[in-house]
Amino acid sequence: MDPSRGTSCARNINPQHTTSLPLTHQSSRNNLKRQITDQLVAPSDVLNYERTVKRQKPEQLPGSQAMDKRHPSSFQQLEKLGEGTYATVFKGRNRQTGELVALKEIHLDSEEGTPSTAIREISLMKELKHDNIVSLHDVIHTENKLMLVFEYMDKDLKKYMDSRGSGGQLDYITIKSFMHQLLQGIAFCHENRVLHRDLKPQNLLINNKGQLKLADFGLARAFGIPVNTFSNEVVTLWYRAPDVLLGSRTYNTSIDIWSAGCIMAEMYTGRPLFPGTTNEDQLQKIFRIMGTPSERSWPGISQFPEYKSNFHVYATQDLRMFLPQIDQMGLDLISRMLQLRPEMRIGALEALSHLWFRDLPQLRQQQAQQAQQMQLGGQGSMLMGGASGGGYGVPVYQ
Amino acid sequence: MAPEPEQLSSLSNPLATVDQLSTSSSQLDGVPADLEGSLRFAGAKLTQAAGILLRLPQEIIAQAIVIFYRFYLGSEGGSFRINAVKDVSAASLYMTAKISFLPQSTRSVLNVYAYLLSPTSPLRQPSEGITGKEKPDAESYYLSEGSYHSARATLLQTESILLRSISFITQVTLPHHLALTYLQTLGVLPPSPTTKSSALAARTLAHLNTALFSPQLLYLTHQPPHLAVSAIYLAAREVGVKLPSMEWWEVFDVDRETLGFLVVGLGSCEGWIEGENEKWTEISCPLTLDELEEEIRRRDVENG
Repeated sequence: MDPSRGTSCARNINPQHTTSLPLTHQSSRNNLKRQITDQLVAPSDVLNYERTVKRQKPEQLPGSQAMDKRHPSSFQQLEKLGEGTYATVFKGRNRQTGELVALKEIHLDSEEGTPSTAIREISLMKELKHDNIVSLHDVIHTENKLMLVFEYMDKDLKKYMDSRGSGGQLDYITIKSFMHQLLQGIAFCHENRVLHRDLKPQNLLINNKGQLKLADFGLARAFGIPVNTFSNEVVTLWYRAPDVLLGSRTYNTSIDIWSAGCIMAEMYTGRPLFPGTTNEDQLQKIFRIMGTPSERSWPGISQFPEYKSNFHVYATQDLRMFLPQIDQMGLDLISRMLQLRPEMRIGALEALSHLWFRDLPQLRQQQAQQAQQMQLGGQGSMLMGGASGGGYGVPVYQ
Repeated sequence: MAPEPEQLSSLSNPLATVDQLSTSSSQLDGVPADLEGSLRFAGAKLTQAAGILLRLPQEIIAQAIVIFYRFYLGSEGGSFRINAVKDVSAASLYMTAKISFLPQSTRSVLNVYAYLLSPTSPLRQPSEGITGKEKPDAESYYLSEGSYHSARATLLQTESILLRSISFITQVTLPHHLALTYLQTLGVLPPSPTTKSSALAARTLAHLNTALFSPQLLYLTHQPPHLAVSAIYLAAREVGVKLPSMEWWEVFDVDRETLGFLVVGLGSCEGWIEGENEKWTEISCPLTLDELEEEIRRRDVENG
């Protein structure tokens, strides 16, 4: 056999290319080919992706165990940043470069081995390289421990909001900038057919440059969302889409958009929009504001496993009542994200081109100028403490 | 060759390099090439059998077999003399199921492997007919609590080694669903199936499943669309379904040369598998480290 065939023929069908294949043969053949191509339903067409895919995927299998060259001692372990369900995160410093990192230490389960969440997270994060997705620098795998080395981020959105001292509310420019970055991260995941499935303020990391990045891909992509598998683990329901709560097993990218809508509302008010305690309570909290759906407003809803014909019937409320500070265009965007019916929800790319974001470059510029002036005025040091500062927006780069 | 269009990563897999295919850790450790082929085949067969006994869907089994191959690939990969076929097979299947929608307990996986490795298991008996086969002996594959604990430690340790060796590249895109989409696209899979269209679909999937056992490691050298197209081409010829007379495979970005190569590759699987079965009639192919050492010793003696 000729083994080089494998790599030299690593070509693929690309939906963007199927309609413009170079058809240079006779016309009758062309027509036939065109007919075939026209019938092609590429998976990405179904999901409405509009841009070409640029996932940085390894095109070859690993030639060496490069990931093991580094030893845990290459990093100085600093304070503990948090403890998750399957990992502990420490701040760390690369002894060689001095660069700050986040070290996620995975507890290897003596009964089940490497946690599936860790395997999924690593295999996804190796491929998803984007400005708005926290980057995985390295994986250190020793006999009894697995350590993921991530870029360092100052805090998560939850802590960031709490530290703002205004009841968790963020200012207009910050909300707009964070939403834009959040949607860019989501759009990138969706283009790569990855569902995050667990978007919440605790999983959005912020650095002091005002950048927002998606983190914690432990639940991403696999089928079915695990419900509280461990009694002490609280899987938050607050950002979960109604179709998932109703027991849908065919949910898609729209579930992340619902979460993004909930997060947007929370940035305005400082409080979660739908703070449910149980699956049922969560649905009720959603219906109380968005209105209880019926077979008429949502054909097929009665087929969902968790659908109850005796749901309390609420009328649809005006979202503005809950978000008094929001402007008209912002309200339009969030309403498109918080659609009960998944197929009615706006897509990430579409949301990014929403009019609400049109003045973002301008706002950023103004802010940068202001920041510069303040720095000249000798107050520059306050800026770097962006998170604790408050009163003015964080300096935003992009 | 034409410039390569941008990859649609959801339809592609990372592939083996030429170097990885030409040298392997096992060969460097003194495993003869033909024996290495047999070990790979035995491992794939063991994984397939275990998957069936665990009632896992073929999707997960096929992915586990590909992961099993990836482990032993190249001079930096695993070696059959260090990590036994049975352990890597079990770890591949356990790990693949774990990240799928049908995770399996360590107990179930190890029970199944204990059975398949026991002397009276169908995999351990010469393939000649039913007669003369010993009755399964439940004693021989009962996994006591003590042996279970040590087997679990080995399983989890092997999983760790496996993940490290494949660099956590656990994603395997299979050609099966693509093949069905292509058949529909070609208009040979009508909404209400006919005998012929069902036979065509079944035969196509059968080729794809057989290709998992190919000694040429086709799943590591070719992308899913290529495998799908070749399986369709071969199946249509066998079942007697007429496909468009033009070069329809080009629509799926497969050139004639690749198609030709794969059709031969797929077609030769059956003969190779029969050859393997004949080769191991007296003794079964080694699945443990001890058995492998014994086989290598036996060959050394034979060759003087």
